[in-house]
Amino acid sequence: MENKFYLTKEGADKIQKEYTKLLEFRQLKTKDEMPSLLHSEEINPEYLLFQEDMSLLETRIAEYENILNNIEIIKPPEKEKCHIVHFGARVTVDLDGEIDEFTIVGTLEADPMHKRISNESPIGKALMGAKVGDTVIPQTSMVRKECRVLKIHYQP
Amino acid sequence: MNSPFIKTYPVDQSKLSLGEQKVLKKLIAAAQLVSPLYEAQKNQIDGASFYPSDASRQELEQAAKKNPAILSPYTFVKRNHAGKLAVVPYSQKFKKELKKIAVLVKEAAAESHDQAFKDYLQARAEDLLKDNFDRSNALWLQASHSKIGCVIGPFDRDLDPLFFQKRSYKAYVGVLDERQTQKMEGFRTMILASQRKYFPGVKKAPISQVKIRVEDTAVLAGSDADSLFVSDNLPSSADLYLIKKHGMISTVFKPVIEQRFSDWIFPIFEKLFPQDFQKRYPREELAKAFLLVSTFVEICHSLLRYYDAASRLQDFFPYFDEAYTEIFGIKVSELLFLKGALNERELEAITLVEICQGVYYLAFAKERPHLHSFATGYAAFFDFLFDEKALEKDEKGFHLDFRRTFIIVDRFTHIFEYYLSSATRDEAKEFIGRFRPEEMLERFTFQVRKVSGKSRGG
Repeated sequence: MENKFYLTKEGADKIQKEYTKLLEFRQLKTKDEMPSLLHSEEINPEYLLFQEDMSLLETRIAEYENILNNIEIIKPPEKEKCHIVHFGARVTVDLDGEIDEFTIVGTLEADPMHKRISNESPIGKALMGAKVGDTVIPQTSMVRKECRVLKIHYQP
Repeated sequence: MNSPFIKTYPVDQSKLSLGEQKVLKKLIAAAQLVSPLYEAQKNQIDGASFYPSDASRQELEQAAKKNPAILSPYTFVKRNHAGKLAVVPYSQKFKKELKKIAVLVKEAAAESHDQAFKDYLQARAEDLLKDNFDRSNALWLQASHSKIGCVIGPFDRDLDPLFFQKRSYKAYVGVLDERQTQKMEGFRTMILASQRKYFPGVKKAPISQVKIRVEDTAVLAGSDADSLFVSDNLPSSADLYLIKKHGMISTVFKPVIEQRFSDWIFPIFEKLFPQDFQKRYPREELAKAFLLVSTFVEICHSLLRYYDAASRLQDFFPYFDEAYTEIFGIKVSELLFLKGALNERELEAITLVEICQGVYYLAFAKERPHLHSFATGYAAFFDFLFDEKALEKDEKGFHLDFRRTFIIVDRFTHIFEYYLSSATRDEAKEFIGRFRPEEMLERFTFQVRKVSGKSRGG
């Protein structure tokens, strides 16, 4: 089974745009005559370089296709589930005596420096499914800190 | 100029314009002139201090009630012909030397096309002759993005063990590393964003705005060259009113970090831990971790400020301010790990380089008295680690249990937080008196001093 990529609508649009750009770039690259394999009797270095570029480009395109085929758009939960931490939740927590607030997002949109925490980070994993008042402990082999959920908010 | 109180480092000037190169040259020359001033202040310490050798703490405190300049950060205290205590301001004692420095700083200002930096340099040149640096410090905070960085003046308090009050001269000049600065700004935002809980009733200073500069240092002089600290905060933590109003700039000295890592931290790591354990941590990973944690520690100073800490703990203040902040750097790294900003290996590497740094400070405590506070704090930390078997030794070397270490970090920071925020000087004295860096160093049975002969400690 393929892994799901959890993205906001904006995040998914961004991925789609970047994918389209890559396809256009590939078209541009292959439009002109490709360098020939041999230059005199030796292998043409331009050909090797071209092949290397194309290989990288194809890998990148395949990565984007994999993401686009497995996107799950994050939607605000139904009203009766708004008290549970899920993707898109803005959570206020007491983490080891520090009050902090962040939004739980999928890995592709995670940016901890801007308070967007991945659902796969230790704290993100522990918080998924938690309710206000719950105390969770991130499962790591080294660090043990209690994290109490103080508030959960979803952008309408 | 050849002096033990000047350290120069090669800087890539290819990204500087010709004008900027001229500014840099002038400022490097000005910074180097700080060395004899610091030397004069340090020499005072050998026989006496900033105060007459026969003056007791009580006499000085009593005299300061009538003449507050006695405890001013910028004066020497002498006995006059009548045997009474009198002061000589720095600007008077070093008038000739300070004028020369001020001229070079003004010339650099004239060459600069960066208006904020130009204004700062002009103000700093004037302040050097006035013993009051508030205006130029405020302007430095407005010039935080300038390509060239320069701090010159008397700001460090380590040479005054009696009151931790008198300032010693220092200087650093460098070129901004924009890429690293941007990266560290991201961590700064995360570290300062959460709200900490404090003991009830403490006089917590508000968390200030912290600007980060990672610099390719060109020169360190005076106190900075003597101590070889890897970073610096300005305004000084003693000037909380300025920090509250304008924030502060944490400058990270990249080549000094690299040098300390190469000469000490990595060789200590190689001596301390078994070979199979060492293989798990490539040198580059540890070097990166050392830069990260050195920056975190500077940022953390802002989280650990109390209005009354320095006056309440007096000469014991640095024992709680310095090493505590270093260990707090590990605690902050744990939280960054939980949020996904650091991975598990980065957290481990950060913890390991901090352990090695503790051994480094232990090794230098005896010969460099002003590092005693760092070493004593680390001695306390190691005491906790050994007691709880988080750090153990067998025939292959030392073994660190990360999980236990992080539990100790929690306990250690909780205890030190109490002393920094609430304890009296007597309580602090009693607590800190239990830990002896010299004895702790003996537990690390290898010869730390033989690790490298390349540089002095600091």
